[in-house]
Amino acid sequence: MRIHEHPIIEDFKKGREIGFTLDGSPMRGYEGESVAAALKASGVTTHRYTSKLNSPRGIFCAIGRCTDCVMVIDGKPNVRTCMTPLAEGMSVQTQHGLTPRKEG
Amino acid sequence: MLRYEMIVIGAGPAGLSAATEAARSGMQVVVFDENARPGGQLFKQIHKFFGSREHQARTRGFRIGENLLKEAEEAGVKVVLNAAALGIYKNKEIAVSFGGATRGYRADCIVIATGASENMMSFKGWTLPGVMGAGAAQTLMNIQGVRPGGRILMVGSGNVGLVVSFQLLQAGCQVEAIVDAAPRVGGYGVHASKLSRTGVPFYMSHTVVEAKGSDRVESAVIAAVDERFRPVAGTEREIGADTVCIAVGLSPMGQLADNAGCEMSYLPAKGGYVPTVSEFGETSIPGIYCAGDAAGIEEASSAMIQGKICAAAACNSFGYINDEEFRERAEAYGLSLSKLRAGMFAPQNKGRTDISHTAEGYPLSGSLLQRGYISQDEIEAFPAARPGSGKGLRPVIECTQNIPCDPCQDACAQGCISVGGDITGLPTVDGDRKCTGCCMCVAACSGQAIFLVDEDCGNGSGLIGLPYEFLPLPEPGALGLALDRSGNALCGAEVVEVRKSAAMDRTAVLMMKVPAGMACAARFFRPADGRQACRGR
Repeated sequence: MRIHEHPIIEDFKKGREIGFTLDGSPMRGYEGESVAAALKASGVTTHRYTSKLNSPRGIFCAIGRCTDCVMVIDGKPNVRTCMTPLAEGMSVQTQHGLTPRKEG
Repeated sequence: MLRYEMIVIGAGPAGLSAATEAARSGMQVVVFDENARPGGQLFKQIHKFFGSREHQARTRGFRIGENLLKEAEEAGVKVVLNAAALGIYKNKEIAVSFGGATRGYRADCIVIATGASENMMSFKGWTLPGVMGAGAAQTLMNIQGVRPGGRILMVGSGNVGLVVSFQLLQAGCQVEAIVDAAPRVGGYGVHASKLSRTGVPFYMSHTVVEAKGSDRVESAVIAAVDERFRPVAGTEREIGADTVCIAVGLSPMGQLADNAGCEMSYLPAKGGYVPTVSEFGETSIPGIYCAGDAAGIEEASSAMIQGKICAAAACNSFGYINDEEFRERAEAYGLSLSKLRAGMFAPQNKGRTDISHTAEGYPLSGSLLQRGYISQDEIEAFPAARPGSGKGLRPVIECTQNIPCDPCQDACAQGCISVGGDITGLPTVDGDRKCTGCCMCVAACSGQAIFLVDEDCGNGSGLIGLPYEFLPLPEPGALGLALDRSGNALCGAEVVEVRKSAAMDRTAVLMMKVPAGMACAARFFRPADGRQACRGR
């Protein structure tokens, strides 16, 4: 999903490649890019499941307005992944309702 | 409580322009922006802008953003990022949240330049991952360098939908279709044309009725709509897509003005709920100004001028510039703004469907409005689009709507092309002047609507120079197909030369050889080896 060559944009100024985890599994991304972008680049599309209907949600506005893309980051729920820069060793968890665990 | 002479909220084109203008005149200015990077949405804009030289026409949006940041820095503007303005209170007090705390500031004057948000529409399956705003797709591909998806359905044919669709092709995505409930393409015809000729189909009077998939979008169902925009049963068609992009307009974000107590009104021509402002952008509360999309949806070029006008008015009321200086600036900025607010797509013409002819009296292309490309017989009505009768290359200009843009006339050193003083006028080609085939007009046209054509270059061949902004760039000698304006294969073609230079700013020009008689219709090249980032249907 990453764009390696672009006809107009010379360089997508990325930080160094780093490791983070998604639900405990090791992932790779670039420091400083949005968590949402790092997930998208790895083919992850579901960020959370809603509390009542358990329906999946992903990136919707990508500029911090809609809060659809929130996940549990470093133990904190409801963090907007499109606005959060990726950092080394970050723990990212799929959010179920408000927690990182499926309930019931 | 910290006090500033001017507090600007929003570091986009309007806010940064206002701040720079005020700081240059001696005001002490701070800009707050809730984002991690300044520039608003300018850095997502990788296309060449419209307008005139004074509006930085033919410069790509992100480069305009870079210039704006540099100017702000040189003027001594302080920009505080990751700082969200929470509210504006009595006596121009502002609460701003950053660094984990909420702080109070006081201003002598405030410029609200908070921009716009994307409109959304709901349909069955619209919450599935893979349904997103067109702006979201733009952020992912042009800022983060990640493709939003592989196969895209674009909903909306306004300029945002069209521009983002083209950028999706440039990023290597496939655009399966563009649908719009309106019967006519909403954005510039030139933007639609450059998609159509790559093979992207337009479905007008259609809407998306369902996004299908269990955990993400796997396909989308579109259907025709009746005159009241209701889907017509039995017209459903399923389109394979992993991403549905929504581009159904923008709404001004005037919440801070509303919260401050400014008089607000709902103005459809401005895109929604906006503060009532004077000609200098001042709201009903003296000293609180509003500029850019927050004051009414337009585009970045006019937002920048509006920002400057607000700042000049503020500088005048606080004695930083005298009345005469203010009058001069206001007049110059007002004139510059009026040039952008002209033509068929001007804010005052929003929603009009009764325009049938150009200002010059040529009939508008119905095919362009209904299908996204100009038909061969319609294009012949436009003199600048007729290839010259003489030998050699001539510019053929397929610019058929009155839009505010004139870089083509500056681009031609030979003086072949003129638009005239009114920048919404259609360009004309002076057949008596010699075209040197330099291609600068082709690269300068922000709408990619200029081609160099030689109908008969000898040996039974015709030659076309066409703008090309995709990778991989074909090598000279590459064989493939020439596509017509609708994206249909027309005939075999060979790329004989590829022109590129720094002045062309990444718009390459392919010199494509086709059989004689085809040069008037061939408008795109598809390589035979299929190695092309750009894929329409």
